[in-house]
Amino acid sequence: MTTTTDPSTDEAGTARRDRVLDLVGLLARLFLGVVLLWAGVSKVGRPLTSQRAVQAYEIMPFDLAGYVGLALPFLEIVLGALLVLGLFTRPVAVVSTLLMLAFVAGIAQAWARGLTIDCGCFGGGGQIAAADTQYPQEIARDLGFALAGAWLWWRPRSLVSLDRILFGH
Amino acid sequence: MAKKNATKQASARQAKIQAAQKQSGGGVNKIVVATVVVVVAIIAVVAGVIWSEQSKRDAATGGGNALPPGVSELGAGYPAFSDVTPVDGAPTLDLYEDFQCPACASFEGALGSTIEDLATSGKVRLVYHVKNFLDDNLRNDSSTRAGNAAFCAADAGVFQDYHDQLYAQQPATEGDGFSDETLTSIATSVGLSGEALSTWETCLTAGRYDDYVNSVEEASFADGVRGTPTVRINGEDVELATIQTPEALVQAVEDATQ
Repeated sequence: MTTTTDPSTDEAGTARRDRVLDLVGLLARLFLGVVLLWAGVSKVGRPLTSQRAVQAYEIMPFDLAGYVGLALPFLEIVLGALLVLGLFTRPVAVVSTLLMLAFVAGIAQAWARGLTIDCGCFGGGGQIAAADTQYPQEIARDLGFALAGAWLWWRPRSLVSLDRILFGH
Repeated sequence: MAKKNATKQASARQAKIQAAQKQSGGGVNKIVVATVVVVVAIIAVVAGVIWSEQSKRDAATGGGNALPPGVSELGAGYPAFSDVTPVDGAPTLDLYEDFQCPACASFEGALGSTIEDLATSGKVRLVYHVKNFLDDNLRNDSSTRAGNAAFCAADAGVFQDYHDQLYAQQPATEGDGFSDETLTSIATSVGLSGEALSTWETCLTAGRYDDYVNSVEEASFADGVRGTPTVRINGEDVELATIQTPEALVQAVEDATQ
């Protein structure tokens, strides 16, 4: 912005900036939302596989990990759908970001402990050959998803959202 | 945090939006919507878990619970070549496989005949653990059906040939599965005919060994088998990279012989 003090120019500049940031919000919502929907849908109907994908991390007690494995796909779908709709963007973004950070922590501990597993992020999962592990890529990818979530956590306002239509913000 | 960002301009904008909303009859109660969304989300996740549990149980039942020849309990592996007397101190070689697993097919292609030589000469006690976890991931029932078919063949004394042919004729695309025609043509190609063939067919249709295959899947996972193929000599996991050639496998078996 220039040194002008004309309030009308100032207001127009802020409005334009807001629109750009709202657009970034929309892109972040759609990106993270579609990723979560895709991750959830690819696991639905494969209960044993998703149970074992979680159990392979060897973090939680065996039976608890089994239930987490069964619940995760549906949680991901719910979060993804809410993000795509733009409903309660901030709370949903908070949960999604924390979920992604939990995935990062899970993958990192598997790597550190020398487990050789597939992250099972989009289906699959379980033990694989040591040469086939992709820990750095999986962590980088999930951090990217967490970044989109963090943006919406910080600034949940976005274009075409149910939040805006229903509540006006 | 929202307050921190709210500049004068933004709040002016906000006021305008709110005014416009009042005109259009907006003003939805946020708490009501939030409650509905949270309740629906919880119901969706809980219902999803219950439905998944149910479909998992359905997939694991339906057939018979017979035990293959030489197997004394559900969950235990199938001892191959039980007519061979092992040499003194021969190690036990446990092989965990799924008939739909491509890595198992390449493992069998590279080492299958060596393993059979070791078993027929009594140098190892060969035990097959036929798993079916890929059914869930590939969303079919071919691993269970193929496993059942192989144990139906065991009733006729031709497990090994049937097993070998299943890998030789594994579908080129993982997930295509074994058709009943393929399973039956393998049965005839390993020498079943007449009454033996119709006994085998009855066994196949009845899923006589379905429960057994399911039990081996569960027992082996509980035993720490996380992937296929898994090879264990005297109960110890063998790193596949260390037995990539027949010579290396024979050496590993010799090292384990007491």
